[in-house]
Amino acid sequence: MTGPQSSGGSPIKDAWDVIAGAMLLAFSLVLLFYLIPEHIGVPPVMQNPMMSPRWLPTIVGWLLLAFSLLLIAQGFLTADSDDSGRRFERGPWLRFALMGLALVVYVGLFELLGAILSGILATLLLFIAHPVRTWWVYSLAIAFPLGVSLLFTEVMNVPLPTLPF
Amino acid sequence: MENLTEVLQLFLAAENFLAIAVGVIVGVTVGSIPGLTATMAVALALPFTFSMEPVAAILLLVGIYKGGMYGGSITAILIRTPGSPASACTLLDGYPLAQQGEAKKALKMALYSSVIADFISNIALIFFAAYLAKIALNFGAPEFFWLICFSLTIIISLASGSMIKGLIAALLGILFSLVGLDSVFGSQRLTFGNYNLMDSISFIPLLIGLFAIPEIIEFYRKKVVPHLRAKASGAGVSLGELKRSLKSIVRGSLIGVCIGAIPGTGATAAAFISYSDAKRRSPNRERFGKGEVEGVAASEAGNNGVAGATMIPLLSLGIPGDVITAIILGAFMVHGLTPGPLLFQENLPLIYALFLGIMLSSLILLVVGNAAIRYFSLIADIPKSILFPIVLMFCVYGAYAVNNDTFDVWLMLGFGLLGYVFNRTGIPAAPFLIGFILGPMFEDNLRRSLLIGSNDLSIFVRGPITWFFIALTVGSILLALYRFVSSRHKAKREVSEPGSGV
Repeated sequence: MTGPQSSGGSPIKDAWDVIAGAMLLAFSLVLLFYLIPEHIGVPPVMQNPMMSPRWLPTIVGWLLLAFSLLLIAQGFLTADSDDSGRRFERGPWLRFALMGLALVVYVGLFELLGAILSGILATLLLFIAHPVRTWWVYSLAIAFPLGVSLLFTEVMNVPLPTLPF
Repeated sequence: MENLTEVLQLFLAAENFLAIAVGVIVGVTVGSIPGLTATMAVALALPFTFSMEPVAAILLLVGIYKGGMYGGSITAILIRTPGSPASACTLLDGYPLAQQGEAKKALKMALYSSVIADFISNIALIFFAAYLAKIALNFGAPEFFWLICFSLTIIISLASGSMIKGLIAALLGILFSLVGLDSVFGSQRLTFGNYNLMDSISFIPLLIGLFAIPEIIEFYRKKVVPHLRAKASGAGVSLGELKRSLKSIVRGSLIGVCIGAIPGTGATAAAFISYSDAKRRSPNRERFGKGEVEGVAASEAGNNGVAGATMIPLLSLGIPGDVITAIILGAFMVHGLTPGPLLFQENLPLIYALFLGIMLSSLILLVVGNAAIRYFSLIADIPKSILFPIVLMFCVYGAYAVNNDTFDVWLMLGFGLLGYVFNRTGIPAAPFLIGFILGPMFEDNLRRSLLIGSNDLSIFVRGPITWFFIALTVGSILLALYRFVSSRHKAKREVSEPGSGV
């Protein structure tokens, strides 16, 4: 199983709710007292405060603050009766790390290598991560990026940087 | 007559037929693979529609939606794993039938009831959307403001799970929708000086990130589970069995239509209500849950009856009823169209061309569904270890294609992580997306109302339509509170009487 769970003697019934509530509480405070005043400009003259660009974000901020407190309270008072989808058995860390590396390849090398080469590299990493044990499946790591890139660029006329040159 | 020619011209393009066929095939295929949802498929298909004509683009997505609704039932019947939550009810009788060697009968009944329900739902769409749009022409900004308030509250109050989490998700969605330049004053809101954010957060990377990436992350984080193989065997459904189930199918379709037309309720509720209604009325009620083919028919009718009806609020009012219609709304916007009453006035031929295409999709579903039953084992036997790398490739290529910028790929991954956190903490993603779409509409109509009323707040209660929507909004909040309180009571009862709920 993964993730924080309530122990028998703990006053916390659902640790995930408390953690999520605390994070949201911190976020709503940052939003209300830093992000909105510093990063939302207001015009010098305004007839109605409800017309202000800050009005809705402020309302949302205060509501988020209130509901994050309620979520924390919920975490202390009740356990989630339907958390089966939230719990699972963790796989090996290398599998997850290789998936992360594949994402880095896509984000970091997409424009540098082009869609086909970065696609091949990332797909190979993901096949190794699982690991896929049928050798011929690895040929799909070349066929699919090639095919999908051509589908985007040639059939659907959606531009992509297919190759680095 | 002039309009009819224009409608036929728009509809009879070969591209439309191809789009519907491809959409239904993709939908059935994706829907029949556990872990891949129709929502994910519609989101991933959106970038492909950029260069298409609007009618073909929308029909492609509608085809995927409809195919996905049916496809979800295939794995529910064969391997007791619903391809979508809405198919969960189908497995109650479908899987026992498969275990008795009658898988083909269950699959055929699921297909026929899906097609009939889909057809009835489409008829309802054609009749009610135009009627509702006509009424909505009398709406001004204050009426739309309250309609959006009602849509937001009903979606949250009917969302499964915790109401607090649903509200938090919707609020976060609204907050993210406000990023960019303010539409009235032009001042920057939470852009941090980044020019990529000035035109607001791109819808497609958000969509792909939220609905596709978390599944991929979770797959590679979880321990590997063995791949289940499926086989469709046995005889098909007889005419007598279809006739016997017809009443349940029609009733289920109508239940689906009524539920689908209300934003936020969804296909899962419709399937279960239709199933319990059929069980209550059936002379074979003791066989329900043990392999009754009428049970499969009723749940699939309820489930698919929703498909056309969810388009009613989308097309007539511009309000998405669920996640997939929210994505279809995005597709309309990508093509410079705004669903709502004005679309019926300004672009009637396009609407009717869409209606014709949607009707045709039912027929195509029948053909594709039959083929899927025959060749299903080929589709279902593709392991996720091969599928997910390909899905990720579509995600990255699709996100990049929006603006030809890796910023959108980053954005997609950011929302993917957010979606993963949502999954882990039980915060639903659907209210987030609905909040993201309705947030700007809410603010826009609020401001327009204030401008029209010269800052006088009485404009918000100016007539019977506003009062009607205020009453609905208050009603949905009360419903949410009732559900919240009753769930608390239920949880308390379960704690005090362990085992009573089982």
